[in-house]
Order: sequence, then C-alpha cells, then structure tokens
Amino acid sequence: MKTALNQDTVISPVVNKDKRKKAKTILLFVLPALLVYSVFILYPIIATFNYSMYDWNGVQAHKEFIGLANYASLFADATFWQALKNNMLLVLVSVFIQIPLGLVMALVLFSPVMGKKFLNVIFFLPYLMSTVAIGLLWIFMYDPINGPVNQLVQMFGFNSVPWLADKNTAMIAILIVVVWQFSPFYMILFKAAMVGIPDELYEAASIDGANGTQKFYYITLPALIPTVVTSSILAIVGSLKAFDIFYIMTGGGPGGATEILGTYMYKQGFIHFSMGYASTIAAVMFLIAFVCVVIIQIIEHQRKKRGLFT
Amino acid sequence: MKRKFPILILFTLILSIFLTACGGGSGQESSSEPTNDDSNTNSSGNGSNVELDFWYIDPGEKEQVYLEAVARFEENNPGVTVNSLRIPNDDYKQRMVVAMSGGNPPDAFVSWGGSWLQEFADAGQVLELNDTDIDFDLYLETALNNATFDEKIYGLPLGISQTLFWYNKELFAEHGLEAPETYEELLHVIDVLNENNIIPITLANQTKWPGAYYLMYFADRLGGEELFLSAYNREGKGFDDAAYVRAGEYIQELVDRNAFNPGFNGVPYDAGQGRQLMYSGQSAMMLMSTAFINNIRQEAPDFEEKVDFFPFPTLPDGNGDPTNLGGATSPVWSAYSQTEHPELVIELLKELGSVETATEYENRTGATSGLKNIETDDVFVQKFAEVAANANDIHMPYDQTLPPALAELHKDTTQELLGKTMTPEEAAEKMEQKAKEVLE
Repeated sequence: MKTALNQDTVISPVVNKDKRKKAKTILLFVLPALLVYSVFILYPIIATFNYSMYDWNGVQAHKEFIGLANYASLFADATFWQALKNNMLLVLVSVFIQIPLGLVMALVLFSPVMGKKFLNVIFFLPYLMSTVAIGLLWIFMYDPINGPVNQLVQMFGFNSVPWLADKNTAMIAILIVVVWQFSPFYMILFKAAMVGIPDELYEAASIDGANGTQKFYYITLPALIPTVVTSSILAIVGSLKAFDIFYIMTGGGPGGATEILGTYMYKQGFIHFSMGYASTIAAVMFLIAFVCVVIIQIIEHQRKKRGLFT
Repeated sequence: MKRKFPILILFTLILSIFLTACGGGSGQESSSEPTNDDSNTNSSGNGSNVELDFWYIDPGEKEQVYLEAVARFEENNPGVTVNSLRIPNDDYKQRMVVAMSGGNPPDAFVSWGGSWLQEFADAGQVLELNDTDIDFDLYLETALNNATFDEKIYGLPLGISQTLFWYNKELFAEHGLEAPETYEELLHVIDVLNENNIIPITLANQTKWPGAYYLMYFADRLGGEELFLSAYNREGKGFDDAAYVRAGEYIQELVDRNAFNPGFNGVPYDAGQGRQLMYSGQSAMMLMSTAFINNIRQEAPDFEEKVDFFPFPTLPDGNGDPTNLGGATSPVWSAYSQTEHPELVIELLKELGSVETATEYENRTGATSGLKNIETDDVFVQKFAEVAANANDIHMPYDQTLPPALAELHKDTTQELLGKTMTPEEAAEKMEQKAKEVLE
C-alpha cells in the first residue's frame, strides 16, 4: 500500500497534502469492496481465460498449453452454435416478452382496478419461489399424462402434447416458465420507476385534454426509458448466463434441443472432464455478455447526449 | 478521477501477487498437516486425534448401515474420528471434481466404479488396493471388475444391482397375461395392454439412463457380452456393428408399438411421475434396476405384493446368452491416494465393505450386495441374488464403463432413437465415430 501512495506522489509531485489525504481515504473506503471484488470476480474471470488456453481435465494437476485450439474447436462445434442459438432466443424472449409483460403488469397495478393488493401478490409470487421448486413444479404441470397443462389441452379436444419430450416444443415450454418466473422482477422495477413520475405531469396532460393512451405514450413511457435500459441489460446478461431452470427441466435434452451455453459448459466441465474446454465456453459467454452490455451502454450514452425522451 | 486509476491498477497488481502467494501457501500448509497431527498425539496407544473424511451419497436406511459401519470402525480404532458427510446425488460428481482438483478431497469416498472412478484413478488420485490385506475373495468378480483398471483394484463394491423387467402381477392376471419370456410374447403383452388402455411400459427418460437400459440389453441379447467388450477395447467390432443397428431398430419397433408412456423423453425418473404410473396401475411394466424395490417400500408399500419381475426377454435373432443381466455397482468404496493415514483408511474401507455391513445392507435396504454368499431374509433380495448367481455375465452400464464424452453420446443417441429423431444407422455411426476419436 505504501508503494501505491509513493508511486502516486511520483506521478504527480504537485499534489498537496490535502489531496493526498483524500486519495488515501478513498482508497481505504474502496479497499474492502475491491478486495472482495478481486477475489470473487476479477480473479476468476482472469483464471477462466487462462484455463481456456489449456487442455485440462480439471482433475489432474497436469495441464497442456494449447493456445487458442480450444476456441478453434468451439467454433467448429455444432452443439455450441445450437446452444448459442437457444441463448439468443432466450435473450429475445426476455427482452421483448418479459419486459413488456412486466410493464403491463405494473400498469395494471397502477390503474384503478379491483383487488390490487391481491393481484400484486399473485403477480409477484413466481419470483419468490426457488428455481428448483419452479422447475419441478412445471415438470409436473407439463406431465404428458397427468399434467394440468395437458388436461387443459385435452379439454379443448386436442391430443396431449409431450411438451418437454418433443424437440419442437421443449424450448417453448421452458421459455414460458422463464417468462412466468422473471416478469414479476421487471414489474417491480417498473413500479418503482412509476412511483417517481410526478403527478403534476398527468394533471397538466389532463387539462390539455390528453386521454389515457396519450398519457402513457407521452409521459409514462418516456419516463420509464432508463428503467427499460436497465431491465434490458439485466435481461440480456441474465439470459446469457442462464442455467438452473434448463438444467432441472430438461438437462439440455431431448437431443440437445434445449441446450444452452450454461448447460453445455456444465456438461463439458463436470461430466466430460474437459475443464479447459468448459472454460473456453465460459470465456466466450463472458465476452458475448460484455459486448452486449457495452453496446447498450453506448446507445444509452448517445441517447442521453441527444436528449431523447429525457 | 484520473489520479485514482494508477492507484487502482497498482492495487490490483498487489492483490494479484497476494493471491498467488496464497495459492502457493495452501499447498505447503496441507503438507505440514501431518506434523501437526503428530504433535497432538495422545498417550493412548496408536490412537491420536486423527480425523478422516468420508463422503457418501445414499440417504435413508443405507445411510444408517454405512454410519453403523463407521461407528464399528471408530470403536476398533480409538482416537480416530470419521467425519461422515452425505452429499446429494446431483452435486456429488461436481463436488468430487472440485475437491480433487483443489487438492483437498475426502480420505474415503463412494463411487459407482467404472469410467468415472477410472478417470480419477488414471490421474493418480485413487489409492491402489492390491498390496493390502483386504480379502478380495469376499467379493463377486463381476462387481470387483468394475473397480479394477489395468489389473489394479481401486474400490470395494458393497452393493450391486441388476436391471430387470418389473411388472404388475395383478394387472397381468386381470388380462390373462403371463410374464413374457420371448420378444414375441412381450409384443403380445404390449398389444393386449394397449387394447385395454393400459400403458404397457413406463419409461422416464429425461435423465437418459433408463432408456439406455434398452439399448444395452438388446445389444447384449443380440451379440452377447463380447460385442460391447470388443467394441470398447477396439478388438474387431465397433459401435456401428450390425447388432447395434439392430438394437436401435428393436427400440424403435417398441416405440412404434406404443409400448411406452407418451412424452417419456421429458419425464425425469427422480421426480417420480414414472413410478407413479406403476403404483397407480396406469402402467404395467418397467425396465428398472433392483433399486426400484426400495422406492416401492418407501413410496407405496402396498404395491410390493403386486409386483414381481422377469428377466429381459430373449430375441428371435439373438446370439447372446439369455441369462445375461444388466447391472451396476454402487456403492463402491475408494480412498484418496494422498491420504495422510493410508492404513487407517484401508481399515475403514474394509469395515464399510465387510460381511457384517453387507449382511445389514441386504437385510435392511432391499439391495443385493457385491459380496458372495450373504445370508438374507429379504425374499426379493434372495430372488435377485439367485438371478445374479445364474447369470452368465453381468454387463455394467455403458455410461459407467465408457469415457465420459462417449458415455454421454451413447445416452444422447439412445434418447434420440427413442424419440425417433435419429435412425439406428445414424446413431451407430455417430457412436463409432466418437469411439474412434476417444478410444483409439
């Protein structure tokens, strides 16, 4: 630590005592969080990139450095592309279905409807359950013979659908669960943001003769854009690193139809004993998520600069 | 703002040095532990305050049997404490990999034998048991073979299970059916049950291993036990052998006959919907390991008197021995090679795999033990042991014998065969291609 400060003085010898003291204080305050952050976030990320350069089974101490060979075989791996495709589908569904649905639910709770408290609880309940419980619950819901979903389907005169067993329906079945589980989270975000919109704006709009739809488009929506951006980042990053619900409900099957990067990484690392290759998948996941967030941040920055909606 | 950056960078640098120092330190720490232990030695004979870690999976009655064995060991070795830790099945493989690579695995641990254990054994992480005073004649050869690699023994098999066709006697009697001995008879049973709106066979294949039983049995019945061994050891035959293609055709024929419950590829075995179909009489048969009797006793005790089993039927074009069985070893006890107290750990393994433990295991858990000539009062276990004793060969699950990547492909392709998204030729070809990559 001493060295750090000395270095600092060397770099900028003109700093007065006051400023140096300030830097020290800042440093001391940052230190605990930085320590935790370094040990649990920074170091693992760097380690992942390091491991991804090795042919390593994760059990032996022996590792063989193979450079970028893991990356080469990853990009030639059909399962990887299938998993990436499924992840992208998950991203699209999260951004374009979950978030709007969360918004609608928040709007419902802000409108003068009966039993708002009751609806609030109903809407939020899925988010409170653990993913393992949700996964098992929905496995039973989708049961081809005794499941409620199929009994409903049969009531309408259709044949029962083997939701999780059919390559064509398995992904959709899980996406429905994901939407069901995570929409309430965005609802809460939107609700919090809506509380912050001043009532005067609506009053003024009413005086100007705006109807409900106009109020939504010209006041509510623009005021919620920052929340939409935050939600999108969370949704994209969350979708890219998804794992649990897929692992529990299908384990990536049938025939790789619901394989996502998370489950594929798990399989490579802990079932196939190729920790090096699994690290490569993890590294690529990190890069994709990182690039996505950077792009969103840039767009957001541009938007702020142009002053759109704000 | 700008001035903060150099400090931050420096800090990360210092931190990373600190971290690497930590990494090196922990290695030294573990090697200095034995001296620590020695200094703690009490005057009470050989008994120092030695602690051994022991990991196992099974809950319930099996857990009790293991813990009693551990207690006996502790009694015989005063001053030794065994930290027994039950790890949930789903986490176990992952926890072991992390523990092994982190250099801090348990002294004694459970496995299923087969390739999973071999992976660790090849890495030099598992204690070789050949040159110990363990009496290997106690154990069934087929069971012991599953923990023997290159003639080195790495584990003691306390338990062995067989895969058999379970059926509901009541339903069979109701529809005038008898336990089928041949494939044609099985097809007849399937047709009759289908006509009566009963699901002939329950299959819960989301986890893929229940469906793999079919491929393994069909292949064994068609080509005998040599088929797999030859393909695995790369001695002439391959996984694209005509018998494997034919096995795939048999599987798809069963699917086409509506032999299985709809949507079986999405039903996980552990969640219990599959067994529910059996218990409730909605389905009449299930190809499952002998562990099923344990499930019955816990989940639907009344069902036990309705249930019986028959061996996998013979095939018209089968060249394999019809007494051949499918089976699996579990639990198999092994030890960590770098353990600080190898003698004590071997004593612990011996106790966990002793005749006394095996007798308790058979009497109380409804499972067959991997030891020879264990007396038991359990009627089902007696019958299992009889089938096992009459068997010409017991094949272990492919996913325990094959290297992990190939094992996974075997289960994936079989699931796709059952889902009819792959032809038998494609599945066999994919397997052989991967086998060439992995085994040669």
